[in-house]
Amino acid sequence: MSSIVLRTLLVSGLATMLAVLIGVPAGYLIARKVFRGRTLLLSLVNTGMGMPPVVVGLVVWVLLVRSGPFGDLGLIYTPAAMVLAQFLIATPIVTGFTAASIQSLSPRLPDLLAVLGAGRVRTLALLAREARLGLLVAVMAAFGAIVSEVGASMIVGGNLQRSTRVLTTAIVTETSRGEVERALALGLMLLTLSFCVNLTLTLVQQRARP
Amino acid sequence: MTDVTLEHVRVAREGRLVLDVPTLTLRGGRTTAILGPNGSGKTTLLRVIAGLESERTMSVSIGGSPVHTRDLAYVFQEDVFLRESVRANLELGLRLRGIASAERHQRIDDAAGVVAIGHLLDRRADRLSGGEGRRVSLARALCLRAPLVLLDEPLAGLDEGTHARLLDELPRIVAAFDATTILVTHSRDEALRIADDLVVLVDGRVRARGEARDVAEHPRVAAVAEVLGYTVLATPAQTVAVPPGAMRLGGGRLEFSMIVDRATNVAGVSEVVGRIAGVVVRVPLTDGDARQNPGDRVTVHATRVYGVE
Repeated sequence: MSSIVLRTLLVSGLATMLAVLIGVPAGYLIARKVFRGRTLLLSLVNTGMGMPPVVVGLVVWVLLVRSGPFGDLGLIYTPAAMVLAQFLIATPIVTGFTAASIQSLSPRLPDLLAVLGAGRVRTLALLAREARLGLLVAVMAAFGAIVSEVGASMIVGGNLQRSTRVLTTAIVTETSRGEVERALALGLMLLTLSFCVNLTLTLVQQRARP
Repeated sequence: MTDVTLEHVRVAREGRLVLDVPTLTLRGGRTTAILGPNGSGKTTLLRVIAGLESERTMSVSIGGSPVHTRDLAYVFQEDVFLRESVRANLELGLRLRGIASAERHQRIDDAAGVVAIGHLLDRRADRLSGGEGRRVSLARALCLRAPLVLLDEPLAGLDEGTHARLLDELPRIVAAFDATTILVTHSRDEALRIADDLVVLVDGRVRARGEARDVAEHPRVAAVAEVLGYTVLATPAQTVAVPPGAMRLGGGRLEFSMIVDRATNVAGVSEVVGRIAGVVVRVPLTDGDARQNPGDRVTVHATRVYGVE
């Protein structure tokens, strides 16, 4: 059971980290840059924030299944496929929350930092620091969404006992077997895991509160 | 202190030329006001000098060298602060410019003394009132001790009382900069109270420049006269600019027929507002003047006029 908890943490943690790597810069660009199609892109991101995981799972399955365009990679029914699906679910969430938190800052702030002497990297770091409360909300929301999803993990991971079973798919399995007490125990573990991660992030967030 | 020179400055937005300044020299060590109506390109000019507009053909230099960030301090039209204490906000620019800790504290204390914000240093900067925020913005610029200071409407958006108090103090604060200072404003009074030199910008072009009093007292172009608060009227012989307060009721050497819109009395100051050929004109009233009613046609005359192109 501990391996399921560890796998859950690894898959969802890695997917969240990748989503942060892509979603934070993307959210910044959407918030700050003016370009053709920006509103359409933001609408797509906002739509993506509520995308059903089972649909994402289905799309990833079509792409990675043996007969699919990326079937040769042999990723289907592996933790990597689950990370990919969860990354696709988490990225719009991180992007959307990042864009909102950057847009809440004064639009003159980058100009101020530039004339005070901050270079490009320092400016981005200072803006991220200013928007840190919103950015941590983005991380918490993304992790919360993917650690609790079951549809995508079930479809692309296959719920294989020794390699791709995570807490949510294990709960489904135990329930279907009639092992309700075991399913409840797994549910409690999932809640505890989610609580611990969010407690850590909340402590960081509140310490960062100005 | 050396001059600031701008060359080949052209800025276009959405296909429209908003600033076109082939060459402009602002004298070093003096305070120059850039005066113009809304949308005349004043703030854009300041942004060009600060390097915030990046067209490659433009050139801005101080004493022949390109302007570097360390050369300038910029006070924005609106308050922009990090969500931190006033002290941390004042310290940020000094940190970014590599000023040592002891020197930073000394500069912050000095600037806080000049701008009278010592009691605000530990407050959150983004929770200050409008007047306090303006003072902190000025202090932030002051403690940078830059040779070039750019002030973008530093008194904009303040209530009347705060505006008046800060306007009284601004010449002293500007003197404390001990720098070449460029002040953007649309207020003739602010410009004349603070600046040594004046540049009048209309529709993105420099229409007048020189010593502030000289430009203000001898407008040669109608558009410049309007920016300076003159009433510009066409007579059969020429176009004339009437200085503020130089209109009187009754006939005179240069008289006009005016239709009265309204008569006002605010805080004991009476005036009649009307139109001459569509131009709004304000005529101060004296005790002996007859009561005027909306729609009346009255004769007014100008006590002083300047011919303008």
